[in-house]
Amino acid sequence: MHPIEEKKIDLLKDLLLDEDRLEIDALKLKIKNLEALLNKKENLSKHVDPIITDRLDLFTNEIPTTLGPTITKSLKNEIRNSKDEVVDALFPIIGQMIKKYIQKEFEILSDNINAQIQKRFSIKNWFRKYKSKSTGVKEKDLLIRGLAKTEIQEIFIIEKKSGLLIANYSKSKTIDKDVLSGMLTAIKSFVEDAFNTGKGDLQLIEHGLYKIHLQNFNSYYIAVVIHGVFDSVYQNKLENKLFEFSKIHKPKNNSKDYITKALEKTFTNEFS
Amino acid sequence: MNLAKKIVILGNFGVGKTSLIRKFVTDEFSSDYKVTVGVHVLKKDVTINNTTFSLILWDLEGTDNLQKINSAYLSGSHAFIYVYDLKRPYNAIELEDNINFLKSSYNVEILKIVGNKVDLLTKEEFQNIKNQSIQPNFLSSAKTGENIEKLFREIAIELT
Repeated sequence: MHPIEEKKIDLLKDLLLDEDRLEIDALKLKIKNLEALLNKKENLSKHVDPIITDRLDLFTNEIPTTLGPTITKSLKNEIRNSKDEVVDALFPIIGQMIKKYIQKEFEILSDNINAQIQKRFSIKNWFRKYKSKSTGVKEKDLLIRGLAKTEIQEIFIIEKKSGLLIANYSKSKTIDKDVLSGMLTAIKSFVEDAFNTGKGDLQLIEHGLYKIHLQNFNSYYIAVVIHGVFDSVYQNKLENKLFEFSKIHKPKNNSKDYITKALEKTFTNEFS
Repeated sequence: MNLAKKIVILGNFGVGKTSLIRKFVTDEFSSDYKVTVGVHVLKKDVTINNTTFSLILWDLEGTDNLQKINSAYLSGSHAFIYVYDLKRPYNAIELEDNINFLKSSYNVEILKIVGNKVDLLTKEEFQNIKNQSIQPNFLSSAKTGENIEKLFREIAIELT
């Protein structure tokens, strides 16, 4: 080609393609920048990390509603299907916990007894000695009794013949009180019938840490569920209180509401 | 007024006393037989004319001789339900003795005789019931629930 023609074509090319070339150069620069961004971890993490953090936060917040029920269901099924394994796994841990708790309680009890013994010449100590002599209860029993609080958990007044509940006062919601009254009466009747040695009445049922004191009256009996030390001094005090309650409030002659309120008023300080 | 009423369910072994109560209280039935030892107490509330009664149901262990039952289980009851098995050969003497014993020994106003397992009867066996000297007040089925609700509602109405 003639040099002049060639020059003209180049000039024409410049005129026509100048814009495209600029765009290509800009694209090349962009690709270069992107390569730098993708290939360098620090540069990429600057952009990606906030997105991942947001997604993770969202996922964490949604776990209770989305995955929670499924996990709970699976766990329940697993526990139900392998009860023995669960018990075997938990037994040593729970056993250790109970052991530690008992040790701790004994330490507290021991400290308290020491503190009481050190106050040998206190008025309380002399009063306890006098009480021990007058009631016949050993001084150490009175000492322990004073340290471990006895609490009433529930009181039931139950008709002897039918086993129907006359009134009840309790701070906790356990099983149905009517059913419990019936079963308690059935157990009482069974024991009294089985050991038919005259006119004996069942007076105490022990279950774990609880004792159920049963006090008989003519047409009804009162069952008191007690937690803590239940010695003869406390029993005597409780019996007197129940006799007094019965004399004043006459459970057979008054309404269930009245007796329930009277129970609450009389025994509220004895409850835990 | 105490709206809790004691109802004792009694009768021979395996006649369906526990199943009958279970159907009434929890609406469940199982054909597995588990013997009742001693007594089992359950409760169900029934509302009659806007008044709710708590029916305290004493499910006693089965015996062919009611005189052997600890009298404390039976005393103070508002109603007795005597259950017998319709599929077993009808024993008029035993039934009569037991009913007479309950009537004479306990001052109970309501005594219902229930023939249970009616769902298992053939047409002929069903017809033969009419010839029995002591007629049941209800023919029930713990399996299908037939007449069970009706039995307890009728007792509750009579107790009002």
